[in-house]
Amino acid sequence: MPSPMSLIYYTFHPQELRSIIQWKVWHNPVHERDESKEPETLRRCFFFLDKTSRSFSAVIKELHPELLGPVCLFYLILRGLDTIEDDMTIPLETKEPILRNFQDIIEKDGWTFTENGPNEKDRQLLVEFNVVVEEFKKIKPAYQTIIKDIAKRMGNGMADYANNAEHNINGVNTIDDYELYCHYVAGLVGEGLTRLFVEGGLANAALLKRPELMESMGQFLQQVNIIRDIKEDLDDKRRFWPKEIWSKYVNQFEDLFKPENKHLALNASSEMILTALSRADDCLYYLAGIKEQSVFNFCAIPQSMAIATLDICFQNHDIFKKNVKITKGEACQLMIESTQNLQLVCDVFRKYTRKIHQKNNPHDPNFLRISMTCGKIEQFIESIFPSQKKPVNEKASPVSVEQAAKAKAEAQEAKWDMIYMGLTVFLTLFIISGSMVFIAWMAGARFDIALDQLKDQWRALMGSSGPSDSGGASGHSEL
Amino acid sequence: MSVQGPSPSLGKVLITGGCGFLGHHIVNLLVQRHPATQIAVLDLRTNLNRSSSSTVSYHDGDITDADAIKSLFAQIKPDVVIHTASANLISKNEVHYKVNVEGTQNLLKAAQEAGVKAFVYTSSASVIYNPKIELKNADETWPMVTGDDQPEYYTATKAYAETAVLEANRTPASFLTCAIRPAGIFGEGDVQLLPKMVTAFRKGQTKFQVGDNDNLFDFSYVENIAHGHLLAVQALLHTHKMLPTVPLDTERVDGEVFFLTNGQPVYFWDFARAVWHEAGDRLPLSSVWHLGQDFAFFVGGMLEWIFWILGKTPNLTRQQVKYSTFTRYYSIDKAKRKLGYSPIVDLDEGVRRGVRYILEKEEREKQKKGQ
Repeated sequence: MPSPMSLIYYTFHPQELRSIIQWKVWHNPVHERDESKEPETLRRCFFFLDKTSRSFSAVIKELHPELLGPVCLFYLILRGLDTIEDDMTIPLETKEPILRNFQDIIEKDGWTFTENGPNEKDRQLLVEFNVVVEEFKKIKPAYQTIIKDIAKRMGNGMADYANNAEHNINGVNTIDDYELYCHYVAGLVGEGLTRLFVEGGLANAALLKRPELMESMGQFLQQVNIIRDIKEDLDDKRRFWPKEIWSKYVNQFEDLFKPENKHLALNASSEMILTALSRADDCLYYLAGIKEQSVFNFCAIPQSMAIATLDICFQNHDIFKKNVKITKGEACQLMIESTQNLQLVCDVFRKYTRKIHQKNNPHDPNFLRISMTCGKIEQFIESIFPSQKKPVNEKASPVSVEQAAKAKAEAQEAKWDMIYMGLTVFLTLFIISGSMVFIAWMAGARFDIALDQLKDQWRALMGSSGPSDSGGASGHSEL
Repeated sequence: MSVQGPSPSLGKVLITGGCGFLGHHIVNLLVQRHPATQIAVLDLRTNLNRSSSSTVSYHDGDITDADAIKSLFAQIKPDVVIHTASANLISKNEVHYKVNVEGTQNLLKAAQEAGVKAFVYTSSASVIYNPKIELKNADETWPMVTGDDQPEYYTATKAYAETAVLEANRTPASFLTCAIRPAGIFGEGDVQLLPKMVTAFRKGQTKFQVGDNDNLFDFSYVENIAHGHLLAVQALLHTHKMLPTVPLDTERVDGEVFFLTNGQPVYFWDFARAVWHEAGDRLPLSSVWHLGQDFAFFVGGMLEWIFWILGKTPNLTRQQVKYSTFTRYYSIDKAKRKLGYSPIVDLDEGVRRGVRYILEKEEREKQKKGQ
C-alpha cells in the first residue's frame, strides 16, 4: 500500500510514476522460470532467494535457464557464508573452521547450522541449508568447481578479518585494506559470476583475460553501498570508510557526523565517491563482453542503480544523517534503460556522470580529480560509441602555401572556365536559332502575324481588351 | 616499441626555441634525465629561461637566415633536432609564413646536409581544428584543415611545416622525422593560458559562466609535453639503430604524427575554477551566474561593436564565447601505444604548480617594488 507521502511525491513527479507503470505493465522477462518442472528442494531454494535478497532475486530469476540454478545457488551459498560471518553471537572458535571449510561443507549431505542468534534475519536459510547442498550437487561439475573455489577464497578472507582484532575495533585502515575488503566480499563474486557466464557460453571468454574489469564490477557496487550505508553501519558499530581517507578531514570517525563538520564530512564523502567513480569506465567495458540479454540485464541493472546512487550521495550531507535512496520511479526508469543494450546503459552513465560533475564544488580538495574522472568516463563512452563522424576531406586540404595558392588559382580558373563554357553554349544556340529564323523568313514566314497574336494573347491574359481583331482576322485570311 | 630505461646521453641535441615556454622545459627535462647529453639551444634571444647546467650552450640566431643556420649546424653537428621555435601568435601573416614554413624548411635542409639522425617537430593540435566542428576524442586520422578553410593563418602555416617535416622523413634514408601535436599547454612560464585566467579572477570575472559547462577540453601540463618530445626522440634514435630495417607499421614512429595531451580532458569551466581556487578564489558555486551560450554570443557581438567604436577590446567576445563552450579533446592512444607515453604529472598537480609559480613571481615583484 503506498504511503500518503509517496502519493504526494508521485503527484508532483508524474514522469517517475509513468516509469513505474511502464515497468510493471510492459516488462517481459527474457526467460521465465518454469516452476512446474522444479523439484521441491529447488523451489525451496528460490523461496530463500526471495527471502534473503531484496535487489538480486528478481534479476536472478530472469536468467537464462542454463545459469538460473547455478547463480541462485551461488548466491545462497555466499549468503550463508555471510550470515555466519556477520553474526557476532557466534564464538570465533565455532565460526572460523566453518568459514575456512565452507567449500567442503556445501558438499556434505544434510548439513545444517542452527547456532545463529535468534535475531539473525537469514538464520532460517542455514537451518534448512540441506536443500542448498542437495541442489548444489546436481549442477554441472564445472559450475561446482567455480563456486567451490570462490567459496573457499571468500571464506578464508572472511576468517582473516574475523581474526583481525584491529579491524573489528577500528574498522578499515588504508585504502588498500578497503579495496582488499571489497575484493573479498564483492570482487570475488564478480570473478565467480564471470567464470560461470563464460563457462555457460553467455559471455566473451576475453573477460577472463582482463581480471581488473570483473574486479571493478564488484568493487563499484560494494563501494557505493559502503558510501551510502555509512550512517546505518555506524549505528551497527561498523566502519568501512578507510581511515586513510577520513583522517584527512576529521580526527575521529564520529566527527564526520557532527553538524559543525558538514563541509569536512562532504569533502571526505567526495573522496570516497571519487574512489568508486574511477571504476565506472571499467564496468562499461565489462558489459561490452556480455553476449546474452538476460545476463546483460543481470549485470547492468545493479551498475546503473549504483551510479544513480552515487549521484544522490554526492555533495549530500543527508548520508550522514539517514539512509539515502533513489526513488522507486527512478529505479524503474533505470531498469527500463538497463535491460536493452549497452548504448542505453552508456547514456545512463553519461547522464549521471554529468549530474555529478554539475554539483562538483570547486573548493573541494578533490574537485579537479572528480572532473578528470567524469571526463574519463565520457571519453570512454565516446570511444565505443562515437557521437560524431570524422569529417571526410572531399577536396583534400592543401599541404603547403604553394599548394594553397595553386588550389586557389585553380578554383579561380575553374570559375572562368564555367563562364566561357556558358557563353559558348549561349552563342552557339543563338547562331543556330538565328539562322533557322533567317531561313524561315527567307522562305516567306510571317513573323509579324505571329508576333501580333502573341501580343493579343498577352493582353487577354492580363485582362485588358485591346484592338485585337485586325491581326487575328488578317492572319486567317492569309492562311 | 620497447623503450629501455633512459640512457645517460642522447648525443648532441639542438633545441630551437629552447628559451621559450615549452623549449626551456624540454631543456630542463633533458638535462635531468639524460645528463650526459650535449645540448645546444638556438633562439632569437637567449637571455631568458636559461639552464645553469654546463652541458647546455646558447646560440643567438634566426631560423629564417638559411646561411647562418647552415654554419651553425656545421659547427654543432647535432645528432638530434627538436624544433619548437614558432612565430608569436599575434604576429603578421608574413612573419608566420617566414618563421613557421621557411624557417622549418631551412632547418630541414641544414639537418639533412649535416647528417642529423632524428628531427622532432612541435606542431599544434589545432591543425585539425575547424571552427564549425567540435572535436570529440579526435585522433590522427582526422584531416588537416588548411588553405581557405582555416581561419587562423598561424595554424595553416603550422600544418604546412608539419607536412614538410613528415615528407622529409627518410630522405636521405638515415634522416628520421616525426611531429608532435600538443593541445592547450600550461605550466610554469606559460604566458597565455594561466596568466589570462588569473587576470580574469582579479577582475572579478569568476562569477560568470557561459554555456552549460558540459564541454570537455584538453589542457596539457608542459612537463608532460616535454616528456612526450623526449620519448619521440628516443623512439627515433632506436629506429635509427635498426637501419636499414623499417619497423612494422604498428610500431613505426618515423614519418608519423602524434596528438599529445595530459589525456585527462576536463570540463572547460572546471579547469578555470580550479585555477581560480588555486589563485585564492572562494566564490561558492551557487553564486555563479549562468549565461546561455546564444545569449552570451549575442552580448559578445554587441560589446565588440560598442568597444570597437571606443577603440577597445571588451571582456567578453564572440570568440571567447565559442572557445569556452566548445568541446575539444583528443585521443592520445597512438602516443600511448607507439611512444609508451602517459602523463608523468596529473592535471591537478600541474595546475597547482603553474598557479603557484605566478603567485610567487608576483610576490617577488612586489618585494622588489617595496625595497
